[in-house]
Amino acid sequence: MEDIRFIQGVAYIIFTIFLTLILYGYIIHLYRSEKKGERDYEKYAKMALDDELDSPPVDKRDEKEREKKLKRSSE
Amino acid sequence: MFGWLERNPFFFAVGVFIVIAFAGLIEIVPDFAQASRPVAGTKPYSLLRLAGRQVYIKDSCNACHSQLIRPFKSETDRYGNYSLSGEYAYDRPFLWGSKRTGPDLHRVGNYRTSDWHANHMWDPTSVVPGSIMPAYKHMFTNVADLETAYAEALTVKKVFNVPYDKDIDGDGKVDVPLGSFEQAKKQALAEALKIAKETKREDLVKMVESGKIPEIVALIAYLNGLK
Amino acid sequence: MQSPAIEYDYTVAKWFSYLAILFGILGMGVGVLIAFQLAFPDLNYIFGQYSLFSRLRPIHTNTVAFGFTLSGIFATWYYVGQRVLKVSMKESKFLMTVGKLHFWLYFIGALLAVASLLVRYTTSKEYAQFEWPFDIVVVIVWVLWGISIFGLIGIRREKSLYISLWYYIATFLGVAMLYLFNNMEVPTYLITGMGDPLHSVSMYSGSNDALVQWWYGHNAVAFVFTVPIIAMIYYYLPKESGQPVYSYKLSLLSFWGLMFVYLWAGGHHLIYSTVPDWMQTMGSIFSIILILPSWGSALNMLLTMKGEWGQLKENPLIKFMVLASTFYMLSTLEGPIQSIKSVNALAHFTDWIPGHVHDGTLGWVGFMIIAALMHMAPRFYKREIYSKKLLEAQFWLQTTGIVLYFSSMWIAGITQGMMWRAVDQYGNLAYSFIDTVTVLHPYYTLRAIGGLFYLVGLFMWAYNFFKTMTASRAIEREPQFASPMAA
Ligand code: HEC
Ligand code: HEM
Repeated sequence: MEDIRFIQGVAYIIFTIFLTLILYGYIIHLYRSEKKGERDYEKYAKMALDDELDSPPVDKRDEKEREKKLKRSSE
Repeated sequence: MFGWLERNPFFFAVGVFIVIAFAGLIEIVPDFAQASRPVAGTKPYSLLRLAGRQVYIKDSCNACHSQLIRPFKSETDRYGNYSLSGEYAYDRPFLWGSKRTGPDLHRVGNYRTSDWHANHMWDPTSVVPGSIMPAYKHMFTNVADLETAYAEALTVKKVFNVPYDKDIDGDGKVDVPLGSFEQAKKQALAEALKIAKETKREDLVKMVESGKIPEIVALIAYLNGLK
Repeated sequence: MQSPAIEYDYTVAKWFSYLAILFGILGMGVGVLIAFQLAFPDLNYIFGQYSLFSRLRPIHTNTVAFGFTLSGIFATWYYVGQRVLKVSMKESKFLMTVGKLHFWLYFIGALLAVASLLVRYTTSKEYAQFEWPFDIVVVIVWVLWGISIFGLIGIRREKSLYISLWYYIATFLGVAMLYLFNNMEVPTYLITGMGDPLHSVSMYSGSNDALVQWWYGHNAVAFVFTVPIIAMIYYYLPKESGQPVYSYKLSLLSFWGLMFVYLWAGGHHLIYSTVPDWMQTMGSIFSIILILPSWGSALNMLLTMKGEWGQLKENPLIKFMVLASTFYMLSTLEGPIQSIKSVNALAHFTDWIPGHVHDGTLGWVGFMIIAALMHMAPRFYKREIYSKKLLEAQFWLQTTGIVLYFSSMWIAGITQGMMWRAVDQYGNLAYSFIDTVTVLHPYYTLRAIGGLFYLVGLFMWAYNFFKTMTASRAIEREPQFASPMAA
């Protein structure tokens, strides 16, 4: 019984540390990719403000792929 | 990797799922093995008490009452020994409750009697002035559903190996007999008659004698057994 | 860009909005009744055994959580989902059918489930009281919602998913997992062929059952009262105010922060375990580091209004939403405080807990849903909001109600907790239990009055919504940002 408890404790700690590292890795990724000019995350905020059907998407999807899915779902 | 996740809803969903599921796995599973063993002396509920327990659940007494005495002096002074995990081994579902609008009931069988309960459930303020507990008069006329209680007992016996019809403490006698429905019912009626007489209410005694157990009698059997 | 001649389709969103109003009034009507019952027990008998406190309390919790809140979540999903994906439900017959089916099954299932509680069918597990046949209905409803979410995402024009959708997806997955595991039960009739066909018995027993239940209970709160409401505020606050989210990066971070923290960094399991001290300390430190990003959400919302605080005065909808995020911060602060061991010893089982629950639900959940529906109303009907004055009055009345509610419950809870443990000079308990009940009477009365204020506010809301739908001045096109209102 104590063994299970011990494993649980260790698993808990390792996983917490792992998650923290991932999270902070993500922060670094967010800021670095913006600095390098790969992506502009802030532009996504526009998705809520400019959300008419005919407003241009921020990140346009491949129209062919969309048509394919659309056909399947409207049968 | 992160940018890719954000654009692939499917894998994104898988990622979220792994995070939330894994946490549960590590948090719950180890405790499972630990908590499921009954402490010595804990026995399954007899048919009548199980029927009473169902009444307790049906009328949601757990909305106001806990059944969990915490290991603090103030609680053990008020309610008795603190609760042990193994004492709940036959509780399906658990009835710890989350709110003590009324007192804890985990050991109420130690300090209240059948007639006290009958008077109290009929009209709480007549016994405890200022009580805000509702009266449960319908329990005095509703008939307890023994068949469903038996179905539950038989189910847990079959599916979860709850030790009905077994010698649990090793004294060579069956501890909690269940048997067939007829056998179980006969025994429940005998137990019920004793309790009905203790309540000193004629109407309850008459009902039991006519072969019907009022819900209140089953409930009292359950409460008396909480020790 | 080819501009489609079609428009967004709000049919299902409208239907769910009506339900949110209906269940809101029903559920909180019952809430007010049970609140008064604790102060004046004679009210228990106004409808015979059907109005006993214990019968109604589960009806209150289920109706507000799974009636009001879920309807609000669905209504906003069917609105926000289309808009941020830039795709109309009209484009897919299939999704339209799924949406309508989702609505009807949910509505009928909810009515039957509440009726079943009224006639004493309950498993007794909090927020999971429904018996097994209703659980099956719940699962089907949930699957339909899932089809709707992923179906709509499948035909989207916008490639990236807006942050709100992350939260809706997490809600979907989280609740699915929790609900399934917690409601594992064996129908007794199927095994034995006798007794009540609706009856079932839990798969888990005793402490294990409690463990699963509170794993569920704690996280159900996360995934019904927190995650989807954040989804709403990330859309409606920027849209209504015309301000982009203060920092989109922070919103992404906060998402993962919340996912990790809520289910994971409970930490309390460690306290009892046998791992070495230094490891336990490490565990606590890292859990705290995890919490930081999760507080990002609320700050992010407030900072979105930076430099635009004038709107707070002008626009009652902004008022609702800013107060909602403030209450979110308050209750996420209060929660961790209550889980400190010594505080919990005092607070557990007392009225402080309902007090805490209702800061969150009335202030955060309730206000956010109210604001979201009023934001959508002018877009649904192409009319301006019927009365700004009424909305203002509602805001102040309900805010007063919330303050009455939580302040009275704080005092009640701490009083009760202290009296339970108070001892006289010889070390004997100073009070009998009934002393600790009667002393609460004034606080119970105050709480009930606070609840009544909130309920009256809901009626004002319903009236305003109805008038907006039927009698308000028409507008030519959908407003882009601030919702137009008549004085
Ligand atoms: C509104 C909340 C409420 C509900 C619901 C409720 N009770 Fe009570 N109960 C109380 C209060 C308050 C007291 C303390 C005052 C008193 O003894 O009446 C109490 C006291 C009791 C006592 C006496 C315990 C003791 O130690 O003195 C018992 C037994 C009891 N309740 C059983 C039940 C049962 C069985 C049900 C369900 C049918 C139930 N209660 C439902 C509030 C409630
Ligand atoms: C008019 C507004 C409301 C009033 C007057 C009210 C009143 C009450 C009362 C009296 C209780 C029982 C407390 C007890 O047992 O002592 C309760 C419990 C509860 N209510 Fe409300 N309520 C209201 C609104 C809401 C809303 C909007 C929600 C959720 C969206 C909600 C969720 C809950 C929950 C989850 C509980 C159980 C708390 C627990 O177990 O600790 N309530 N409410």
